[in-house]
Amino acid sequence: MPTQSFAGSPFPVRPDLTEAHERAWAAIAAPGTWLTGAQRVAVSAEIRYARDCAHCARIKAALSPNTVEGAHDTLGTLGAAQAELVHRVVTDPGRLTEKWSASMLAKGVSEGEYVEIVGLVAMVMIMDTCHRALGLALRDLPAHAAGEPSRYRPPGARKKAAWLPLVEPEDAVESDGPLYPNPKAGYIYRGLSLVPQAVRDYTALANCHYLPGEYVYQFGTSIRAIERPQVEILAARVSAMHQCAY
Amino acid sequence: MLRESMQIKGRQVDVRGVTAGFDETVDIPNAAALVEFAEAVVMRDETRTAAARGALLAVLGEAGLVDAAAVIAAFHGFVRIADAIGIPYETAARGSDAPEIRERAGVNEFPRVRGEP
Repeated sequence: MPTQSFAGSPFPVRPDLTEAHERAWAAIAAPGTWLTGAQRVAVSAEIRYARDCAHCARIKAALSPNTVEGAHDTLGTLGAAQAELVHRVVTDPGRLTEKWSASMLAKGVSEGEYVEIVGLVAMVMIMDTCHRALGLALRDLPAHAAGEPSRYRPPGARKKAAWLPLVEPEDAVESDGPLYPNPKAGYIYRGLSLVPQAVRDYTALANCHYLPGEYVYQFGTSIRAIERPQVEILAARVSAMHQCAY
Repeated sequence: MLRESMQIKGRQVDVRGVTAGFDETVDIPNAAALVEFAEAVVMRDETRTAAARGALLAVLGEAGLVDAAAVIAAFHGFVRIADAIGIPYETAARGSDAPEIRERAGVNEFPRVRGEP
């Protein structure tokens, strides 16, 4: 596997996109808020491994995911509940439920770990999917950095609008650090806000792929090499194929 | 967001295509090639993806192809945050995805909306 993003690409790749990927991998390798760097890289490895899990394939094919018995094929580096969280979010996100989410917490995944892992899934899926779409080998996982998680929990986080606690813009405090592009930031920005660093890491990456927040509602403006309706037809079709209602 | 981006350009789109698939009448340049690329990537079909990539490269050029891949990839992340955290889908696009739009687009048939599984 190559050790740099987009290595060997026959197409020129925007420098900001390459830099965003490298920054994201460095962030993944560093100590997080609830997980160490080693745990975050282990989660990343499990994300890749989950795609070929036979149990996940049976769940995906079943009319109801709750009717399938068995165990995931895992690398064995995560706890059972963490592995279940990774596998289901990677392979069948459209059929997750609040009850399932609560079961992950009941099995010992903390709220912070849950949100941090979801953020890692989102980031690794974005980067690996971009490579696959362009026919490129996946970048090698980074070596983890030493250090301890910050264990920072935003004081304004509350469980209200979603299955996990969020920080609404009016509840953000200075110690959270920068969170939202504006006070009306949509829930897709707020989703990871129980772990503010995950918001920052994820948003920096996603903005380079889709659009920075200030352009999202400027429908007449395109800052990409394709028109805005072309961007949105891709977005809509991919979301629908994942059965995502958001 | 698709509807809004079309309306500002004075175009219309049948949002049923989001779930049912778009036909050749959709008024977006190279829509068929874009959708084929997106579907191939989501399905993780390497052969189909390679063919779609080649077709898209021919009509969009290298920068367009890279940006199409980047957008498709972005929504492999967005959907997972939305569905794993359980954010309220009614607030998508600042609430402009009205119930009748979700119904017409087929989104109301998705498990999250139907309350399944």
